[in-house]
Amino acid sequence: MGVVTARDPQASNASSQRAGPRTAAPQSGFAPWKNPSLSPIVRFEGITKRFDDFVAVNDVTLDIYEKEFFALLGPSGCGKSTLLRMLAGFERPTQGKTIVAGQDITDLPPYQRPVNMMFQSYALFPHMTVEGNIGFGLRQEGMPKNLIAERVDEAMGMLELRQFAKRKPNQLSGGQQQRVALARAIAKKPRIVLLDEPLGALDKKLRQQAQFELMRIQETTGTTFIIVTHDQEEAMTVASRIAVMEKGVLVQVATPGDIYENPKTRYIAGFIGDVNVFEGTVSAIGDGCIEISAKDGYQFKTRSSEPVSVGQQVWLALRPEKIRIAHEQPASAVNAIPGKVEDIGYLGSISHYHVRTAPGERITALRANAAHTVERPISWEDGVWLDWPVDAGVVLTG
Amino acid sequence: MSAKANGLGRWYVIAAPYLWLLIFFLIPFFIVFKLSLSDVATAIPPYTPTFSWSEGIGKFISQLDFENYTFIFGDPLYVNAYLSSVKIAAISTVLTLLVAYPMAYGMARAPKSWQPTLMMLVILPFWTSFLIRIYAWIAILKPEGFLTMFLMKLGIISEPLQIMNTTTAVYIGIVYSYLPFMILPLYASLEKINPALLEAAQDLGSRPWRAFWQITFPLSLPGVFAGCLLVFIPAVGEFVIPDLLGGSDTLMIGKTLWNEFFNNRDWPLASAVAVILLLVLTIPIVLFQRQQQIERESGR
Ligand SMILES: Nc1ncnc2c1ncn2[C@@H]1O[C@H](COP(=O)(O)OP(=O)(O)OP(=O)(O)O)[C@@H](O)[C@H]1O
Ligand SMILES: [Mg+2]
Repeated sequence: MGVVTARDPQASNASSQRAGPRTAAPQSGFAPWKNPSLSPIVRFEGITKRFDDFVAVNDVTLDIYEKEFFALLGPSGCGKSTLLRMLAGFERPTQGKTIVAGQDITDLPPYQRPVNMMFQSYALFPHMTVEGNIGFGLRQEGMPKNLIAERVDEAMGMLELRQFAKRKPNQLSGGQQQRVALARAIAKKPRIVLLDEPLGALDKKLRQQAQFELMRIQETTGTTFIIVTHDQEEAMTVASRIAVMEKGVLVQVATPGDIYENPKTRYIAGFIGDVNVFEGTVSAIGDGCIEISAKDGYQFKTRSSEPVSVGQQVWLALRPEKIRIAHEQPASAVNAIPGKVEDIGYLGSISHYHVRTAPGERITALRANAAHTVERPISWEDGVWLDWPVDAGVVLTG
Repeated sequence: MSAKANGLGRWYVIAAPYLWLLIFFLIPFFIVFKLSLSDVATAIPPYTPTFSWSEGIGKFISQLDFENYTFIFGDPLYVNAYLSSVKIAAISTVLTLLVAYPMAYGMARAPKSWQPTLMMLVILPFWTSFLIRIYAWIAILKPEGFLTMFLMKLGIISEPLQIMNTTTAVYIGIVYSYLPFMILPLYASLEKINPALLEAAQDLGSRPWRAFWQITFPLSLPGVFAGCLLVFIPAVGEFVIPDLLGGSDTLMIGKTLWNEFFNNRDWPLASAVAVILLLVLTIPIVLFQRQQQIERESGR
């Protein structure tokens, strides 16, 4: 048993409040990946990229659908950018095919692809004005001048850039530059917009604002967005689906809610939000539930969607908000363990309770600070009981 | 106390370059300018008037005149020499740019680990004396020289090349000698360009060649201007190259100046030629500074 916390210790507290499933998401009814009659707009087919001996992207097969806001999530160096750059045409895959809208574009140069990219460094042309930058792509097509002006104006209007039209990039703030870069990427109305850490250079507050702006633009233009990020919160906020990558391999592709509720591996469970993990072996299987003998001597009963066999090593992952915390031993709880409150993280509407159990492990539980709570408040050094129902945890085999 | 010392130190730092300019440029220039207002004389030194305390400053100044300048402007020989120098320097500058740009571009695009070596190779010729390198070109270009021999061996030509002692040889000499001065500023400005800019241009539909003209070239203009200036200015007054490689038809002001000074011993006239040369050269410098000013205002 142990506590796996999110990679970014500062974000972990805040993320567990926000990183829940997107129940009220604007696209909640939107799930083209479940519709077998739709064909994907982007299809990576067994894509591998080697730099000399180093495998940056390893046999990735992935379908992305029209109008999706798709996030590639993973730690630094896992190959996210490389995968995106192969779609833009800056890198050639060592193996595999890239198919866009049914057409094999693996061998097309970047300037012939129906995708536009927003760069992390923005890559704005320093010798051109905001207008010049946004209109650059349109000028390459030989579009008539008045049409270009119209389209540039439209893009500037969408991103509130009209008053900066005549400025050069270095006369803009970071947030304004970011908007110019986005405007330039959407000005040609490409079918797919690629965004490589588009908000990486912004501070936290501006970042959240920009995330909503990205979502708004994506929805109003109806374009497919593919975003690369290593910020799980950002991926959870903006994406319709997330592909989690690790060391060049796709580990899981699912909606933010699915990833949070049913992570495939301990790695993903820990990467997205806080999680408590108990290590153990399967001791019994029956009536839709399995029993797990934890290493610390506890016996847990839980549902399992993973097929397991008796004696197999498994991990039980429990989100802090799924664990109830109380002073008295619950009367009829399936899984209950005693402990002592060591630490309380008060976060306004909710509190984190870090509880030390008898075998000496720390478990995090989370409770809403509702004003009408009748129980007496839990404080430091209190003896408490933690309990959870059979369907609270996720059984992981890897 | 320390603030005062600091202020003084700062003053020295600021004053140093001005002091340098005063001693090694302004004072010599003033002497040359004064000389250009004098008259030639068969004496030592070979001009008049010479300043003497007994006659006083007033008399001395009254003897100075602009006769040499009116003479230079009245004689087509000098005017042609100036024009021809500017023309030769301008053509050489363009040729140098054409040769240097691909080299600088190649250097900037080479793997980072090669770049110091490539830079070294560009500077390497400076290890050998300038004069010796020009003499080497005589050995290459003369009718029975290496180039003729080589091309005849290959069967490309059957007659010896007549390049030596022509303006073509002067172009070759200038381009060769001043190439590093063009490459280095070009390389510096090309190397600074973020490669993501070219990717962005291609991503937006610009073919590589267009992307070069739309992005790379405009962003390298500061290097182009600096390099052209560094080649053009010394090339206008160049003496050694036209003297050794050029022919009798190669008219350059540096040679004229040398003739006036050493052959005709007309120091005042030679001085006037030099002063005018200096004024001619301030034109591109002013243009360059205007360009830099514009760049700074547009905040590049
Ligand atoms: N041109 C290259 N030559 C050699 N190795 C490369 C090259 N480009 C990327 N790599 C390697 O491939 C791996 C994946 O790189 P990539 O840029 O895709 O990572 P990333 O997931 O985008 O990480 P980050 O979040 O830090 O941007 C890295 O280990 C990187 O060192
Ligand atoms: Mg990256």
